[in-house]
Amino acid sequence: MGHVAVVGIGQSRFGIRSDASLRELAFEAVKACLEDVGVQLAEVESMVVSVASDELSFALQPSAQVTDYIGFHPKPSFRVEAACASGSMAVRAGWMNVASGLADLVLVVGAEKMTEVPTPIATEVLGRAGDSLWEYPFGMTFPGYYALIAQAHMAKYGTTEAQLAAVAVKNHYYGALNPYAHMRKEITLEKALSSFVVASPLKLYDCCLISDGAAAILLASEKVAKRLRKNPIWLRGLGLGTGSLSLAHREDLTTLGASVEAARQAYDMAGVGPKEIDVAVVHDCFTIAEIVAYEDLGFCPKGEGGPLVEDRQTYIGGRIPVNVDGGLKSKGHPIGTTGVSMAVEITKQLRGEAETGRQVPNAEIGLSHNVGGNGQHAAVHVFGRDKE
Amino acid sequence: MEFRDFSLLIRDTKVHGFVDGLERGELLASKCSSCGAIQYPPRSDCSHCFGTEFEWVAVRGVGTLVSFTSVFVTPEHFTPDFSGSAPFSTYGYQPAPVGIVEMEGGLRVMGWIPGVKAESLRVGMRLAPRPEVLPDGRVTVVLAKAEG
Repeated sequence: MGHVAVVGIGQSRFGIRSDASLRELAFEAVKACLEDVGVQLAEVESMVVSVASDELSFALQPSAQVTDYIGFHPKPSFRVEAACASGSMAVRAGWMNVASGLADLVLVVGAEKMTEVPTPIATEVLGRAGDSLWEYPFGMTFPGYYALIAQAHMAKYGTTEAQLAAVAVKNHYYGALNPYAHMRKEITLEKALSSFVVASPLKLYDCCLISDGAAAILLASEKVAKRLRKNPIWLRGLGLGTGSLSLAHREDLTTLGASVEAARQAYDMAGVGPKEIDVAVVHDCFTIAEIVAYEDLGFCPKGEGGPLVEDRQTYIGGRIPVNVDGGLKSKGHPIGTTGVSMAVEITKQLRGEAETGRQVPNAEIGLSHNVGGNGQHAAVHVFGRDKE
Repeated sequence: MEFRDFSLLIRDTKVHGFVDGLERGELLASKCSSCGAIQYPPRSDCSHCFGTEFEWVAVRGVGTLVSFTSVFVTPEHFTPDFSGSAPFSTYGYQPAPVGIVEMEGGLRVMGWIPGVKAESLRVGMRLAPRPEVLPDGRVTVVLAKAEG
């Protein structure tokens, strides 16, 4: 199989973007991506689009809005979906497009507009990403599902609310340094701990934001990548795992089996282990999710995720810097966009182009971890400066 | 019967007998007629052996609380002033806690834990899952304090 490189990256500013439609947000990301590498849209052979929700976009095939608005027709384009991991599915489909030899230059776009509906409706739509038949009738919401995971983790390992809050404090610290982030504001531990309860034990600052935004990357085969860039970033390992729809079907609520499986595949394919990762973005839709991700990805032993962040080991300078773009928590989480935005961030870090104060020095290998629903899907991708 | 609208969605499945069970006061799991796998929530099609015949078995006894939460920011259908039609009872238990108990043999059951605050609950507590008729005439599943 041929090697696949990321040759272009771009994204829109995340936030409550009442100034732009879904298609206009996507256009911002695509334009930035093509300009980043100096490629004309006419040279791009194929496209994959991730928009997670028909309900939030009030449309079937919202991806057609994107392909039409950037003027891609009549070339091939299709949409992928896996709730909050949709973006990583698009990256994976883009990789398959190139590695199979079907195309040499493929555009991968993630876009989501979440703030056009009132919060109770968005809460309902997101809650139904879980088991809408058997668990949603108990008033379960997305924070509710992760609250069940948090409570179980706290009971089993002694994880504390202060450790959860420490994730939020870190991610807001870095988000404040990211010009594309939704909420560029530092917070204190006290503020996080005293915020109102959304779903016990999770409080407001344990939850990510409901955001609008888009991101795009351009993937290339080895021969085309070398023509376009002296030092492209290589997509070296891909892993994809699945997990039960019902939380009640899981033997252990403190781990996401889908993440463990995805990590195993991605590390195997890339030929690296967790100790070799210099920078990571993980799916912190809730603070507990970041702590569970540390453990599922092998950044620390099971049950030690809380102390890891409390000891500041996931800041730059620590054992493994995580979510130094602000994460879903502070950068924002336009659900279909997130996986693509993660690829943008890791590419940026490996190129050494992150903004002042949030660049990990000499990062050579990076990892993205993206979860769909509450663990029904998980994707792990390993990127490197070297192709092997 | 009105009691069948625990969930209109469940009524329209191959395991609609589950709501008949709730109406009779029984919480039912499915047992695969081919391989004997017992599953809750019940399913008509076995994911272990792909068998499509099943029989009902009652879930009885006391379980251990695995986790719980109290949801304060509710979805549209559970907001206090919601007046549209919902495919399940919206009679207000929220923000009563919701929990998952593990039964002997490993089955796990989700249910409301009404009449208490989340602060008074502990993982490991003994609670018994059982059907309950709500004041609006519909049926749901609750986790009740074990007797004695």
